[in-house]
Amino acid sequence: MTSDLQQAARANTAAVPAISVDGLHKHFGTHEVLKGIDFQAHDGEVVSILGSSGSGKSTFLRCLNLLEMPSAGRLRILGEEVGMKKVGSSLVIADQRQVDRLRTQVAMVFQNFCLWHHMTVLENLMEAPVHVQRRVRGEVRDEALAMLERVGLQDRAGFYPAQLSGGQQQRAAIARALVMRPRALLFDEPTSALDPELVGEVLKVMRDLASEGRTMLVVTHEMGFARDVSSRIVFLEQGTIAATGSPRQLFGGGVSERFDQFVSRFNG
Amino acid sequence: MMLPLETLQLLGFGPGGWGLPLLSAAGVTVFAAILGFGLGSALGVIGASLKLSRHIFPRLLGQTYTTVVRGVPEILIIYLFYFGGSLWLTGIMNIGGFDGFYSLPGLATGVIAVGVVSGAYQTEAFRSAYLRLDRGQIEAGRSCGMSRGLLLRRIIVPQTLHFALPALGNIWQSALKETSLLSVIGLTELLRQTGIAAGSTHQPLLFFSVAAAAFFLIGRITGRLVRRVEDHMNKPWRR
Amino acid sequence: MDWLFIQDIFRQMLVGIPLTLELTVVSLLAGFVLAGLVQALVSSRHGIIRRPAAAYVELFRGTPLLLQIFLIYYGLGQIDLLRQSFLWTLLREPYWCAVLALTLNTSAYTAEIIRGAVQAVPPGEIEAARSCGMSGLLLRRRIVWPIAIRHGLPVYSSEVIQMVKATSLASIITLNEITGITYRLASDTYRVIEIFTVAGFIYLSLNFVVSLVFAVVERFLNGHLADRRT
Repeated sequence: MTSDLQQAARANTAAVPAISVDGLHKHFGTHEVLKGIDFQAHDGEVVSILGSSGSGKSTFLRCLNLLEMPSAGRLRILGEEVGMKKVGSSLVIADQRQVDRLRTQVAMVFQNFCLWHHMTVLENLMEAPVHVQRRVRGEVRDEALAMLERVGLQDRAGFYPAQLSGGQQQRAAIARALVMRPRALLFDEPTSALDPELVGEVLKVMRDLASEGRTMLVVTHEMGFARDVSSRIVFLEQGTIAATGSPRQLFGGGVSERFDQFVSRFNG
Repeated sequence: MMLPLETLQLLGFGPGGWGLPLLSAAGVTVFAAILGFGLGSALGVIGASLKLSRHIFPRLLGQTYTTVVRGVPEILIIYLFYFGGSLWLTGIMNIGGFDGFYSLPGLATGVIAVGVVSGAYQTEAFRSAYLRLDRGQIEAGRSCGMSRGLLLRRIIVPQTLHFALPALGNIWQSALKETSLLSVIGLTELLRQTGIAAGSTHQPLLFFSVAAAAFFLIGRITGRLVRRVEDHMNKPWRR
Repeated sequence: MDWLFIQDIFRQMLVGIPLTLELTVVSLLAGFVLAGLVQALVSSRHGIIRRPAAAYVELFRGTPLLLQIFLIYYGLGQIDLLRQSFLWTLLREPYWCAVLALTLNTSAYTAEIIRGAVQAVPPGEIEAARSCGMSGLLLRRRIVWPIAIRHGLPVYSSEVIQMVKATSLASIITLNEITGITYRLASDTYRVIEIFTVAGFIYLSLNFVVSLVFAVVERFLNGHLADRRT
């Protein structure tokens, strides 16, 4: 796609949400994790997804990238419905190519970074753009190097992941997601695996991205980030959205008793 | 240690010297080992895929292969292919109107036998290497929209190979030594050639010691090569 | 399938089992004792003791067993001194040549296994024992060896299986153990499928028993881990 087309598409679809979900269910065996979720994320929104462990928040995020297959429901990415068909009692991907194409548009950042061990940082960044998106290697390289500079790793391009600290690895992973030029970024507890003193450097990169108007969905336990950076909070409990609203509304208290209890556990 | 002149002549390349036959027999040994190991790698990949399958039938098939081959003597497998192969070939030739008895060339039989044995051990090497892969590495690939083939080529194969390499190095050494068993089905590799030389010169101690030195050296040199590859592939994993 | 024929060859092969087992057990026992000695030499502080022992291990692990058998069977007769000694009454017998080769071979592998097992003992547990005032033989007997045995046993079980298989090479120097009988039957009758199925079945059964015995022993020794296994 040329950038003209992309821009035109963006202008046309300003009202079309980047991600849209209707009636999303997910169960593992008999255990129901998500019990009907309706959700939309528009361009430029920063949505923090909160909830105690087992509330289904990570599963929800992973469904958006099709790392988990929904058991029922509809998923649209950039207004395009993801084709799913029923086989037996479960859904499967109807068109793997469509999914592979859309996945680069909702890039994932993992809790454990998941940089590929056998590639240098620069090779990690160039992998998907060159081999999945089939963009020109030289251009991708320049963009990747620029992206590394943005996350403060310009001098680490030739290092292997094992040679970096956790914070550096996670920043590289964020850069890897950005080089794919995604429409939205999905963060799955990006700071949970980090030593406390390394959390700050990753949060700073995420704040910068948010202030640029990036569309971000963040599953997190960082209450400060949720309150100060996100434009919207989604509070999941037992597989349903128990409360949603602006951080000011929700953190002000009194909207949802359960949410207030949840927050007090973090502050207490 | 000083070797008597007579000994040097026996091992030399001049008239009455066994140098050339021994050298070419060493070539046969290395050649058979490389082909056998290569065939074993192909069988190992197939065997590991069978054993890692979700379905019970392929898993059972793979399990039977590794259990049987690793549980019976290598020499028995070599005999099986030797007798079985000649029986099969004779049958075909007789149908085609050529009477008499035929046997498969020793090299072909030997390579197949060494390959089947090596493949059983390589199956285990590849399987356990694959199981050591971090699931996150594959998920990260899927999340970037990598297709099954791309994922295999760019992520799974390089990382599995890295984990399998130390075991593969050991299996290579075994395959090299196993080629010596092919002497019993008439392949003129190192052991058989030294046996012939020992018989006709009445110097078994000398010639079998030379064969031992040759096997040891070939093992050492190839082992060093493997270690170099290993070092190279280990680079990303070092801190 | 010709059941009568299968019964017949099975009965003939059974005759070879005692010799296979004898070769295995004798060389394993002798090999283990020798391995303990070799390992003691390998871990010596003096290079002049350590280096030859290490070379011994390397040489026997780095060359084919069949070659070792040939060296002993054909080669030793060339040494006049040996021919004149009482040892020759033993070493001119293929049986003792096979036993000697198998013993030397397994001793090299077993020495490596012992080394690995002792190395796998966590230094912390040795320190803990020292801090309790243990040292010397007491430390080895109560702490090092029990831990090392638990580490080494699974590896040693596969060495035992390798040895059961390795005795088959004794057939090449005329011993009529299972493989020797199998070869004779195969070249007499050419009924390949039946013969090799029966021979394979016998070896698989022997090795199955070996792994069963080791599994039982390991289970007995690892009683302290029983709760953790789920």
